[in-house]
Amino acid sequence: MFRCGHPVVTQPESVRMRNPEKQPSTAAFSREHTATVGEVHAKRARIQCRSVDVYYGDKHAIHDVGLDIGHDEVIALIGPSGCGKSTFLRCLNRMNDTIVGCRVTGDILVDGQNIYDESMDVVPLRAQVGMVFQKPNPFPKSIFENVAYGPRIHGLAGSKLELEEIVETSLRRAGLWDEVKDQLLHPGTGLSGGQQQRLCIARTIAVNPEVILMDEPCSALDPIATAKIEQLIDELREDYTIAIVTHSMQQAARVSQRTAYFHLGRLIEVGDTAQIFTNPRHQLTEDYITGRFG
Amino acid sequence: MNKPNDRIRRTHEKVKAGLARRRAAEVRFRLYGLASIAAGLCFLFIMFGSIISHAGAAFQQTFIALDVRFDEEVLAPDGRWDDDALLAADYGALLKQSLAALFPDETLDRQQKRALSALLSTGAGYELRQALAAEPELFGKTRRLWLPAGDDVDLYAKGQVDRSLEEGDRRLTDQQLAWLDKLLADGRLEKRFNRTFFTAGDSREPELAGIRGAMTGSMLTLLVTLLLSLPIGMATAVYLEEFAPRNRWTDIIEVNINNLAAVPSIVFGLLGLAVFINFFGLTRSSPLVGGVVLTLMTLPVIIIAGRSALKSVPPSIREAALGIGASQMQTVFHHVLPLAMPGMLTGAIIGMARALGESAPLLMVGMVAFIVDIPGSVSQPATVLPVQIYLWADSPERGFVERTSAAILVLLVFLIVMNGTAVYLRKRFERRW
Repeated sequence: MFRCGHPVVTQPESVRMRNPEKQPSTAAFSREHTATVGEVHAKRARIQCRSVDVYYGDKHAIHDVGLDIGHDEVIALIGPSGCGKSTFLRCLNRMNDTIVGCRVTGDILVDGQNIYDESMDVVPLRAQVGMVFQKPNPFPKSIFENVAYGPRIHGLAGSKLELEEIVETSLRRAGLWDEVKDQLLHPGTGLSGGQQQRLCIARTIAVNPEVILMDEPCSALDPIATAKIEQLIDELREDYTIAIVTHSMQQAARVSQRTAYFHLGRLIEVGDTAQIFTNPRHQLTEDYITGRFG
Repeated sequence: MNKPNDRIRRTHEKVKAGLARRRAAEVRFRLYGLASIAAGLCFLFIMFGSIISHAGAAFQQTFIALDVRFDEEVLAPDGRWDDDALLAADYGALLKQSLAALFPDETLDRQQKRALSALLSTGAGYELRQALAAEPELFGKTRRLWLPAGDDVDLYAKGQVDRSLEEGDRRLTDQQLAWLDKLLADGRLEKRFNRTFFTAGDSREPELAGIRGAMTGSMLTLLVTLLLSLPIGMATAVYLEEFAPRNRWTDIIEVNINNLAAVPSIVFGLLGLAVFINFFGLTRSSPLVGGVVLTLMTLPVIIIAGRSALKSVPPSIREAALGIGASQMQTVFHHVLPLAMPGMLTGAIIGMARALGESAPLLMVGMVAFIVDIPGSVSQPATVLPVQIYLWADSPERGFVERTSAAILVLLVFLIVMNGTAVYLRKRFERRW
């Protein structure tokens, strides 16, 4: 229905089709994208990305994205399927390394250090920047072992008692402790989908990351489990920087402070969540959040 | 009548018209399936029935009771009795004496005497020597001993000699049959469990031939194969699947491994002959060479099975481990490998079972030799079960027919035990995710 770089003058009906009850938009009525609209810089930036390009073989998946993610904030990455938001998220802890033919150029700095530097070791990076995946993926081991695995391989616990303490704290923080405290030795795969996802979050925070990346963490969950995870994200915001990819705009609006809108591999617009959803400045953003496509 | 209703009705009619045909096709297909399964089972039963009915006889052996007098004059004609004399003594003469003593009222010519001696196995003399070595006080005394009968007598006792045939067409003469009838009437002819079959090595005489040499050879060969192919195969599978970059070289390696799995096994035998025996100078006929050759043959199977087991581990498990900062090796060894283990082990055991049943490549490295001694190490000459079966099947003596079947049965038991282990391991270690 729509193509990038279409002349503005041929789209008058789209203006008419817009909901008249909606607040008047200040969006520039152009679907051309030259530079990201909005403020890409954050006040206290924890992650700074500058001119990031990602290629899968010959395919240019992400074009020149620059974005900061600040301390103590939840940033939501939204956009239609295939727009590169998951790819971008996976760049932040170099999970893309596992994909054959994936190449990343540009600078991504976590706490001022370029993570794509030759000397960078991905092991401490991934401990620092944890990740929660779309599908709950607990290890086929006991609940305790699931949470204890990270601290154990990183040597975070000096003793068994300390390890148990870490496990309990992590499960408490993930809001799962009361549900599983009597069945810590049961397999993690026996839990319900929502519980499994919280177990995965507990597993991630057990290694004390600074940043948590969440790749559509609720897409496989029912509304009640989703509500629990969202509440959890809200609580975790105090201690962690969180970047969340979501297909649900309501979810983005509920949990995030900032929102970044991706489209066909380009970062179109970044801004405060409230502003993005009530008063998008770019036509593409407005098209997306009003449900015209995606 | 409005149009849509008409259309729906016509559709219904068309569907109904084809229904009987569709059902018939389904029933027919099920019948084909049942028929093929029935045919398969039928052949299986025929095979097992034939093997077991033949093999049953091999687990029994005919013995003749003789009152043997360990005569000083025969054993030590020069009056000297020591270890050398024990080895060299004429036990055959003792047997002849004892046999003749059974029929005191008959006077026999040379030929008849030979026919009488033929009732006993040629190995009976060794039994006497062993008895004397174990109990030196027997010297000069008389003792009733159960000695193995010759293979013709053995066949007769098992009902495989037809008395209605002309004398010239049978393996036993009328006189021999008369003697046997008398022995049977005296309770001196008895069928007992054939221990020799499980304790002896190969022999030219069916009644003295045993499977133990081949069993030991098979075990030693498989041990070598297991020790070499399991670590190499698993390491290769893990490296290629989890660590190796995907490029042209790994593609070439993969294609070659797949091709190797399809190479006829005798080619590996030729390779083993050329490389391990002629170039490296390993001992011919030894389980070591056999094991190395079988390793070459099983490696592709183990690698392919291992890779597919690793491939079937969901990538989300790898991502989960990598995502909390596990290194590549920790991910593989803590999470991927335990999940892939049942599949890898199953592949390895099936490869081993194939190696156990393999004879062609071993013929090329000399494991087909006639070897009487039971091998004590991997560098001593040995033979293996399938080759032993081949050798016995090739022997002209009638007594080897049943022993061939018995050896097949032993081999099948080994295979079933190995496959059973594979199933058990898979069930035991299988985990759900």
